[in-house]
Amino acid sequence: MNLRTEIVIRHIGLVLIFNAIFLFISFLISLFLVETSVIALLYSSLVALIFGLFPLIYVKPTHYLSILEGTSIVVFGWIATCLIGSLPYTLWGGEFSFINAWFESVSGFTTTGSTVINNIEALPKGLLFWRSSTHWIGGIGVVLFTILILPGSNTSRFVLLNTEMSQLAKTNFKYRAKEILRILLYVYVGLTILETILLKFAGMTLFDAINHSFATIATGGFSTKNLSISYYNSVTIEIIIIVFMILSGVHFGLTFNTIIGNKKNIFRSSIFKAYILILFIGVLLVSLKLYYSEIYPWWESVRHAAFQVVSLGTTTGFATVDTGHWPSFTQIILIYFTIQCAMIGSTSGGLKFDRIYIFFKSIKKQIRSIQHPNAVISLKIDGNSINEKTELHAMIFIILYIGIIFITTMLLSFLNVDIFTAFSSSAATIGNVGPGFGNVSSLGNYSNLPDLGKFILTLNMLLGRLEIYGIISLFFIKSWR
Amino acid sequence: MKIKIKILAGFLLIILMLLIAGAMSIYEFSRIGKSVKALIDDNYITLEASKSMIEALEREDSGVLLLISGKWEKGRSILNSADSSFLSAFKVAKNNITEENEEKHIKNIEESYLKFKSIWKLPIVGTDKQNSTTWYLSDVHESFLDAKFEVEALMSLNQTSMYEEASDLKNQSIRAIMPGIVAISSALIFLVIFNFFIGLILVRPIKKLIDSVKDYNSYSQNFSADISNHDELKVLENEILKLTQRLQK
Repeated sequence: MNLRTEIVIRHIGLVLIFNAIFLFISFLISLFLVETSVIALLYSSLVALIFGLFPLIYVKPTHYLSILEGTSIVVFGWIATCLIGSLPYTLWGGEFSFINAWFESVSGFTTTGSTVINNIEALPKGLLFWRSSTHWIGGIGVVLFTILILPGSNTSRFVLLNTEMSQLAKTNFKYRAKEILRILLYVYVGLTILETILLKFAGMTLFDAINHSFATIATGGFSTKNLSISYYNSVTIEIIIIVFMILSGVHFGLTFNTIIGNKKNIFRSSIFKAYILILFIGVLLVSLKLYYSEIYPWWESVRHAAFQVVSLGTTTGFATVDTGHWPSFTQIILIYFTIQCAMIGSTSGGLKFDRIYIFFKSIKKQIRSIQHPNAVISLKIDGNSINEKTELHAMIFIILYIGIIFITTMLLSFLNVDIFTAFSSSAATIGNVGPGFGNVSSLGNYSNLPDLGKFILTLNMLLGRLEIYGIISLFFIKSWR
Repeated sequence: MKIKIKILAGFLLIILMLLIAGAMSIYEFSRIGKSVKALIDDNYITLEASKSMIEALEREDSGVLLLISGKWEKGRSILNSADSSFLSAFKVAKNNITEENEEKHIKNIEESYLKFKSIWKLPIVGTDKQNSTTWYLSDVHESFLDAKFEVEALMSLNQTSMYEEASDLKNQSIRAIMPGIVAISSALIFLVIFNFFIGLILVRPIKKLIDSVKDYNSYSQNFSADISNHDELKVLENEILKLTQRLQK
């Protein structure tokens, strides 16, 4: 398959220009507030702009992209974005060594929300805005966002959409590439604006409201406060965030269909119903355990259980309490949600609930085919047949996913990280969830992990965000030919 | 776009990036210089003055003890000299208010010192205060400790500020060095990409032209280099095409 390097570089350049715009906005905030991050943000913005504009001088736009080119643009676009994203942190200094800056940047763009910063409130507001922006840009997909805003042909848009978006995600989008992108933008921006307004009225400052909306809608989890959402100690704020976390964990096509009154809405989606049911069971079990362990009174148990289960079950990662001190039973349930993740077609990363749903449906199908060997049994979801290729794809993905968690846990253990921390951080990073357990619990951070460990976890984040295959396929260049 | 402009644009972008990095480093280094100066001006001078004030206060305390033991001449001489040292050090501190709340501390020092001074200013030798350790402990020593405490508070304020400034200096030095490192790394990556683009806009079309001319000469094929750029090389391709067509005629 043909790979035109210059075309790949041109598209990566467009992605960098897009990043430069957000870096410039962050710079303006810093400039307005006369902060120490002014120069760091300005220089990063200029470097991103120069690298972005440079290929446009030499390479003409193209109307056609091969799959290999599309994959290369997406993978290298993400890596270039994360590198540029780490620049303002590196230039600003403070707690940011190069590896810490890279970790924070990857964690931001992949919407993981794990942090290595001990004192978040000490960061200048411009840098905090950039940190939240990385979530917002990454939430919808760096390349998708770029092709949404910047000019490009429909054919190349289609290839990039197919590469960056999960195949399963498109089942609820019965539209052309251009329409899908438009729907994504409407839902994404609409939810962000709505949540910002509600959080502002609930008592947050406008700055905090915007940053927390960015982090919620992107299912990221970066907060502007050291104590995350527990800082506000407000039930209203928690309820607003819970609702928007759930909405952000749902397929955007379903949300759009519900808003415009289409029949294929969330109320008719069996996956959505199962997803909500699982979340509800999780909240109930955790609440009961917290209450009977006499950790909190009943309503307090429900309040914290609901927030934590939804936060991890949607891969957001905000916290209202330190779950590291909760009973083991509740931690196991939360680890399940860390692995399960949210629905395909949402802003969340990781395994995705849809694959688990297909997995259980497949088990049911297998049992029925054992009971009725001559029967032709097909797997159906909401009346649509799921072909065996999709089924197999989901199974292999789950195995690969668990395998990567196992390998990363082993590597971290080799670096003398305790087994619980190693396992939970591996699951939390590949799932783009953020907080784990042990030393990396919900109100803790990843700063104490060895640098090599941090780097391994950033690879996990990228693998989780790009659904594993994207990155792995680039290592098998020969098989593309 | 002409080849010359394309190459020039690439170089201009590299120069722009290096210039900005240089300007950033110069700005941050000049800030470091200012911070070091501020560290000396703002805090170090007050710290030295505070030390002098404490030393003067201790001498005054000794002077009072000498008066209590009946040594009037030596006691008064020490008190007067220490008072003069204290007041000159106090003047330095008062004229160097740079931190938040520092003015309040200066005011407290002034008040506590005046109180202390009002005690030993009165006659001691030949009065009932002579040889009275009770009076010393209840009045003099308490006032002395109060004044010393206020000076120490001023010292602590400046020491904390000095520590914070020094920590900030570390960050500033990183901010000054990092643009250079980033600029060098970026320039290296930039040059690799630039080299690739030079190949793309110059070397590749020239190779195409050479191959096409060779094919024309060797196999009498129609000349066509298929150059997509709209620059001098495209003009050259057209001219060669015209030439080959003329030769064919």
